[in-house]
Amino acid sequence: MSGVFKARNQVALVGFAHSKATRKPDRPLGVTALETARAAIADAGLLPGQIDGFVSSPLLPSTGDHAVEDGISTVTSNWLARHLGLDPAYVVGFQGIGQITGSLTLAVNAIASGAADYVLFHRALHLPPGKYNDNAMASASGGMQWMAPMGFFGAMPAIALAYNEYCQRYGAKREAMATLVSEARKNGSRIPWSAWHGKPLTVEEYMAEDMIIEPMCRFDADMPVEGVACFVLTSAERAKDLPHRPVYVSGYASGYPTKNRAMLHWTLDDMMEAGKGLSARLWGSSGLTASEIDLPQLYDGFSPFVYIWLETLGLCKPGEAHQMILAGGIDSDKPGTLPVMSGGGAIGNGRMHGVPQMLECYLQLSGRKGEWQREGLTTALACHSTPHFGGAVVYTNDPS
Amino acid sequence: MTDTHVRPVPVPDALSAPFWQAAARHELTLAQCAKCGEVTLPPDVTCPHCHTTEPDFAFVPVPGTGRVRTWTVIRRSFLAGFENPFVLVDVELDGHSDLRIVARLLDGADVPLTIGARVAVEFEDIAPGVAVPAFRLEHGE
Ligand SMILES: [Zn+2]
Repeated sequence: MSGVFKARNQVALVGFAHSKATRKPDRPLGVTALETARAAIADAGLLPGQIDGFVSSPLLPSTGDHAVEDGISTVTSNWLARHLGLDPAYVVGFQGIGQITGSLTLAVNAIASGAADYVLFHRALHLPPGKYNDNAMASASGGMQWMAPMGFFGAMPAIALAYNEYCQRYGAKREAMATLVSEARKNGSRIPWSAWHGKPLTVEEYMAEDMIIEPMCRFDADMPVEGVACFVLTSAERAKDLPHRPVYVSGYASGYPTKNRAMLHWTLDDMMEAGKGLSARLWGSSGLTASEIDLPQLYDGFSPFVYIWLETLGLCKPGEAHQMILAGGIDSDKPGTLPVMSGGGAIGNGRMHGVPQMLECYLQLSGRKGEWQREGLTTALACHSTPHFGGAVVYTNDPS
Repeated sequence: MTDTHVRPVPVPDALSAPFWQAAARHELTLAQCAKCGEVTLPPDVTCPHCHTTEPDFAFVPVPGTGRVRTWTVIRRSFLAGFENPFVLVDVELDGHSDLRIVARLLDGADVPLTIGARVAVEFEDIAPGVAVPAFRLEHGE
């Protein structure tokens, strides 16, 4: 694609619902998904029979011993449509990392093209029983043979390697990350559905925590949870008749790995390099630039991703994200800052992938954030995963 | 923390078998494309440089020296069979600035490290006939 997105501001978010993000689910994921879907459809002022498109990304937690069962450990769009008793025209799923931004593009394009009029977009995350990460592997085949036998296993060591390269290159201190994580937990603690509701984390508590994969401690990784989020999308034209202020999609972009590496070997330079291309496409698509985004919401499945997104999107200079954060530059309670974690992110809410970022953009731009509503916002950005596997979406409440 | 589990052994496949055969002889090799002559690791089903579908990789020995791009100290491994703590290093091999290998550093968890530190490959014998690459700091430069 060249030039501005042809469907710029032609598709809007018009309603949502979010279940509790919980460590102790008391019923099947599918039941939670159904109830959340019905709540989102009602929130948008619609009836289930009006939904003719279903879009999602059902990628599971990648580890743990569990069988994949639709409605139990995953919820596909097909399952959801059938259990709502519907026969929709358009049902698709996105395969890949960056599930939220990836699948959202399928929903936007479906409405823009006329393939569907009202799309239910959902993300359902299952928390498998047992430990999420521990693995007693006797042999390593396929892509894993290039990692596990050498002691390289799991995403956290990969991120720690990239993060330490950042720290060494730019002199970043652990205090800056403590400030970031505390900011995420502060905002998450104010959200009723959050797994960390009422449980902020102080900088001192972060600093007192033992590192497990240096320079990272357990607070640098989001906590696995079970939960469901649903959004309803329709055309800008149809959105005029619905109860809530529409939030329009201005543009989107994805990023891709360009180097051949062992599968979880995500280097700092690879992420920053992919982010350059992603950013160029994002600004080209949306017709906006970094300085025109009022409210960026940056992905934090692992806390160091926030440094990378801040810098690669051009929201601060390369190497300066840690200084900006340490100086209070992302504090949502201070005027004049760039509150990139105001929605709590994954660190502050639990592992809902890119949902908290998307939801915060929607709530703030539609004027539905209640006690924590911010004033004077017209543009927002939500990103998900890393610049070399994920994507970013730009929103506005002013399509003029 | 002691651990009764064994370390995972690599399972060679059609693409990787020559690499692990060389590793068993304590020789580090890279996959060289027959079409364009560029090297890569791990070997892919196509060449990541010229994108030929018939790379017919030859595994060519390299000295296995390089510099530390970054590192992490694993104090709690998510993988059984390793004694914690240990250091993982991300090494850029000499002459191959695009090619990086993550493996253990065998100098202990408390060894002082800096970006750019010189290392050389060594092999850990983890099972009969099975060795995997690791690194050790080069001294006396
Ligand atoms: Zn080639």
